[in-house]
Amino acid sequence: MILTENIVESVRSLWSAKQRSLLALIGIVIGIGSVIAMVTVGQIVENEAVRQFREMGTDICLVRLAGQGEARSRNKGMDLEVIHRIPGQCSTIKSVAPYVSLYSRLTHGGQRVSSPGLGVTGEFMDIFKVPIVAGRFISNLDGYANFCVLGSTKARWLAEMGVQDPVGSEVVFADRVFTVIGVAGAVPSGTFSPYEINEGVMVPISAAMRNSDRPQINVFGARMVGNGISSQAETQLKEYFQYASRQNVRMTSAEELVAQMDRQMRMFTLLLGAIGSISLIVGGVGVMNVMLVSVSERRKEIGIRRAIGAEQSDIQLQFLVESVLLSFIGGVVGLGLGVGTVAIICRFTGWEFFVSQIAAILGVGVSAAVGMFFGYYPARQASRMNPIDALRA
Amino acid sequence: MIDLRDIHKSYRLGAMNVEILKGVDLRVDQGEMLAVVGASGCGKSTLMNILGFLDQPTSGAYYFEGRSAEGLSDNELSRIRNRRIGFVFQQFNLLPKLTALNNVCLPLLYRGIPTKERKEQGREMLSKVGMSDRESHRPGELSGGQQQRVAIARALCGSPSLILADEPTGALDSVTSSEIMDLFLSLNGNEGITVIIITHDPGRARLCGRSVRMLDGLVEPQ
Repeated sequence: MILTENIVESVRSLWSAKQRSLLALIGIVIGIGSVIAMVTVGQIVENEAVRQFREMGTDICLVRLAGQGEARSRNKGMDLEVIHRIPGQCSTIKSVAPYVSLYSRLTHGGQRVSSPGLGVTGEFMDIFKVPIVAGRFISNLDGYANFCVLGSTKARWLAEMGVQDPVGSEVVFADRVFTVIGVAGAVPSGTFSPYEINEGVMVPISAAMRNSDRPQINVFGARMVGNGISSQAETQLKEYFQYASRQNVRMTSAEELVAQMDRQMRMFTLLLGAIGSISLIVGGVGVMNVMLVSVSERRKEIGIRRAIGAEQSDIQLQFLVESVLLSFIGGVVGLGLGVGTVAIICRFTGWEFFVSQIAAILGVGVSAAVGMFFGYYPARQASRMNPIDALRA
Repeated sequence: MIDLRDIHKSYRLGAMNVEILKGVDLRVDQGEMLAVVGASGCGKSTLMNILGFLDQPTSGAYYFEGRSAEGLSDNELSRIRNRRIGFVFQQFNLLPKLTALNNVCLPLLYRGIPTKERKEQGREMLSKVGMSDRESHRPGELSGGQQQRVAIARALCGSPSLILADEPTGALDSVTSSEIMDLFLSLNGNEGITVIIITHDPGRARLCGRSVRMLDGLVEPQ
């Protein structure tokens, strides 16, 4: 009851010093607004990043030869047959996609462009989710055939030369003539997909390995039989390679990467939140300043209230309610500002817009807490005033 | 009802110790109307603050309604001011942003009395001082005499046993002053409330049942 009276009183008092209240509000509005905007943007970025992985599936992994520098250069690379036998030998692995990288030139109609290439098997399309927009992908039956699938960039290059439907046309890659059998759509660039999918051409792995620079298989992609078994799969693969070819391998799974990314993004969000909190503290100091001015301006009022029987706690409550109300209003306005900012950012970046409920509740709650914290000292000063001194003011 | 024994009050003013009250002895009985007269600076207001529990004596004993005022906590002092004493000041001391009615019922707010009941009592007090038709006016919209009536209504609100008035007519013209004095006299006569009025006007003091003179920090009977 006395609380409602205090709220009415606070509204009246804040309203009568509109300009000052407004200035104090700005600090809180910006503080809460930036906390909410930053935390929400952090979460949206996190969702975006993780979503790209989720689209590929978290059961995907990359297996590389372990060892670096000299040890690796002496290495002969992995044996294609050994890799092909994995799904039969390791119960956790469903399919494998070994690949080799080439770097050469692509020629068509007298035009030349430098181009990377990938030697792949039929499983590559499924594991790396390569979309086919025309023709077909490389098949395991293609053997040594000089067939190739164009990546999206190279398909555009041909289109610029007037080849709208490149399937069936011939290109020269790595000094050999290849027949285009398909065109791949663009895949989102990420940690798992080799960038050559978009930038280069894909040819059968056997054909690629016949190239003069003798490319080696240092890495292959694989899909596990389910989620959450990556450590088990890694153990199996390590044991298998030790047994089959006395090689050390290490595995990176999407699952691990997503988890790692989640951790990093959480740190990132926390950091953004911390930066926002600094402006919140500045806003809080603004509230404190306004409240101190208010207390010293209303000494007489405090004296009168004390003379007619207000206890120290009544005076303290009155000023505390005022500062909490002030910050709370700032928090609500700041919430609107923050959400609006996020909406604008999402509009321009094309990210999926959402309002983090935790950020919203936290933002408004924190603003009230800021009012409580920074209002406590002025309110205490008001309540500790000697009644006669206050009355004489 | 009030028994002051050898009350001393001194303030530190820089390096100097200024003694305002130099051993005041004063007894006031229930239902009395007492005028305290004296030149300015003789310690009238300090005495009033001590009587009203706004200030503590440096030494001496103060018994209020048979109870010693010594060692009371701040909350106990607030409670006595709220329930037993009504203040009337020279400068009215109304809260400028509140309506007359809200000013009057403010003491009841600090007792935790519900709004409806508070307003009822406040209206009753306003009618007692003849200000019923001004309940929604703010102090700035009232004349000095009207403001002082509202202030008296506030002092009466919650039925105190003692009203302390510090030069209540000091800021008013003579006609209005007489009306205010009449109001105090009728409150004392009809309701039996103990009234202590501080004034420097001997003419007004003579209207009261008893008057004492303060001179240089001491109270002398008159």
